[in-house]
Amino acid sequence: MFNFDFLGRKYIWYALSGFFILLSIFGMAFRGFNYSIDFKGGSASDVIFEKVVTVEQIRAVLDQQGLGDSKIQPIEHSNVGGIDTQASPNKGSEMLIRTRTLSQTQEQTLYNKLNQQFGIQDRQTKTVDATWGATITQRAIYALIATIVVLIIFITVRYEFKMSVAAVLSLVHDVLITAGIYALVGREVNPNMIAALLTILGFSLYDTIVVFHRIKDNSTNVVRTTYSAMANRSINQVLMRSINTSLVTLLPIVALLLFGGETLKDFAFAMMIGTIAGAYSSIFFASPIFVSWKEAEPYYKNLKRKYGSKETVAASSATATS
Amino acid sequence: MTDRQKHLLTLGVLIVLVAVSIFMIMPVSKSTKLGLDLKGGLSIIYVAKDTPGAPVTDAKMQQAEFVLRQRVDALGVAEPEIQREGARNIMVQLPGIKDPAKARAILGKPAVLQFAIVQDQYFAMSESQLNQLKKEGKPVLGPVLLTGDKVSSAKATFGGQVAAAPEVNLTFDNQGTVKFGQITAQNVKKRLAIVLDGQIITAPTIDEPIPDGKAVINGIKSIDEAKNIALVLNTGAIPVTLDVLQMDQVGATLGADALHAGVIAGIVGFALVAVYMLLYYQGLGLVTWLGLSIYSTLVWGMIAAIGRYYGWTLTLPGIAGLIISIGMAADSKIIIFERLKEEMRDKKTFRTAVDSGFWHGFRTSLDADLVTIFAAIVLFLIGIGPIKGFALTLIIGLLMDIVLMLMFTRPILGLLAQIWPVKSPAFLVRLGRMRGAVENV
Repeated sequence: MFNFDFLGRKYIWYALSGFFILLSIFGMAFRGFNYSIDFKGGSASDVIFEKVVTVEQIRAVLDQQGLGDSKIQPIEHSNVGGIDTQASPNKGSEMLIRTRTLSQTQEQTLYNKLNQQFGIQDRQTKTVDATWGATITQRAIYALIATIVVLIIFITVRYEFKMSVAAVLSLVHDVLITAGIYALVGREVNPNMIAALLTILGFSLYDTIVVFHRIKDNSTNVVRTTYSAMANRSINQVLMRSINTSLVTLLPIVALLLFGGETLKDFAFAMMIGTIAGAYSSIFFASPIFVSWKEAEPYYKNLKRKYGSKETVAASSATATS
Repeated sequence: MTDRQKHLLTLGVLIVLVAVSIFMIMPVSKSTKLGLDLKGGLSIIYVAKDTPGAPVTDAKMQQAEFVLRQRVDALGVAEPEIQREGARNIMVQLPGIKDPAKARAILGKPAVLQFAIVQDQYFAMSESQLNQLKKEGKPVLGPVLLTGDKVSSAKATFGGQVAAAPEVNLTFDNQGTVKFGQITAQNVKKRLAIVLDGQIITAPTIDEPIPDGKAVINGIKSIDEAKNIALVLNTGAIPVTLDVLQMDQVGATLGADALHAGVIAGIVGFALVAVYMLLYYQGLGLVTWLGLSIYSTLVWGMIAAIGRYYGWTLTLPGIAGLIISIGMAADSKIIIFERLKEEMRDKKTFRTAVDSGFWHGFRTSLDADLVTIFAAIVLFLIGIGPIKGFALTLIIGLLMDIVLMLMFTRPILGLLAQIWPVKSPAFLVRLGRMRGAVENV
């Protein structure tokens, strides 16, 4: 079967993870997040016009209403492989119009004007008070802390404390990278993205647990080899599964990304990065951290002294064919 | 009981569950309650603000919720939802509403009705002049003598001296009738202002005492407005100032588009997973197909049941949770199959491999599922609005995954091991190839 030396090259993987984390921090620090109106307050409308309109035409109407600072963005519906994602195809244009918070009268005046000029077939308008963002952020932070605490307890009870710390570190790794990529590509951060981010916590652990489960199974009898060799063999044993799992999890996410419409695309994008990072980190980040820590224990330190540190591959191939 | 009987019994129970699910799902058009992001509608989250001398209390919030509920009922919306969230928020959801602008206007009106005497030096002014001066802070009105909570009913009609002028007829309760009689008796030839939410609507001159507890608000522009005023007066005043914290108004077409896109994404996602499983696991892939179909039926049945008995609605983020759980359901099969293959590579027969392989794989999947369930539960408890829907479908999906492993994957593999000459390469080609590869080493 496979016999890759994952743990022997751990510094390469640390460097790679370090690079991505630095990149993410750089992205967050210098580019910042593109927060949605849920955080800043304002009004956002998704409008389907009966006629084909240009951004400039709409801009003109907004200017008249003293809303020159608004953002207008056309929405293209995905049409992949001839599958139209619209239930009721219309011949006009669909636009996303973001303004500052409008009063009810202002809102009505604006959309009456637009309706007169271009004909509004349908619209979705979301209005958010600026204080809403604080509520969401607060709840998200609570959720994040609560999740991490629950998960540490669960893994400590079912596995061991060192595994739970390594798993949580890799989780932080995944969430940091996902958030960093969000900042770098400038995608909008909205409550759905936060939900996706919290789900990534679960997913990332899901992957890590599968690897740790095998390491735990194999760790009952570590003799005449080192802990790293055993762990490396364990990773190789679950490698195909890890690859398959990540692919199978990614397939529906990709479907969401291609066909899901605006809201689901938000979910899918965060989930996609999180899943990839999660699959990577369970093997290349969580495992080496855990194993290095574990090998600091006297018993395994002793084994390491006896059976050497460079023999992870040799030792594991010996056990695999035996 | 032999293993075989046990497996058959388990599958029998599963078939019953599937039947129950199908019963819940049928008819499709009615079973799954759609949230307003899919169906169109209006969702508002109000926040209560403290005003000087009038802090927000729990009792006031309860009354505010009660009043909102009555106003919503009066609007005649099917399946509305009014919910308190935290200490100061009230969420109102009105699916499929026709006239969101009107609903917004009526829902949020505090409806504080006051009666006061116009001060003598402003006697000759029109209502609009009075309102203008009042805005500027001039002492136009005397102290508030009577408030709307003494009104027992309000009714919009056409009437009065001017033909077909819309007006609202008020009837006071006993206490109000006595008080109104006193006020009118003491202030003959003065003007009585009727003030709704700080706005003087009308200020007629009192010609004579009115002892029968009836009053009329006229000077209203349209009958619709008269009806709105009557409605808010009948449901009572909201005792706190409610600001709109968040509002989402979704048109029916856009809701349908979102649903359509979600369904397509779901079908494509399901198909991609099915094809992948077939290519990679061949015979076992077919077993997976059957498993995933049963899985989807159970999950959908569960959602329909929760919708039916608890009025829960499926939202767009909920659909995302469902689609993502398809991948996780397929994944638990991968964990078990890969373990199975491993056991067989150790030269075990399919039959013995199934026994130990399944339980090893199951424990791994169970842990992994539980971890995600924990994360989803936290998300559900602390979740913000639509995110709750996502968390709930994810939890349902993961629970059903565990059910499916025990009630489908386990008995099917057990039965296959017994009745199938599983050495047949047609069933597990991949496995055979790998086995050969290992043997050749």
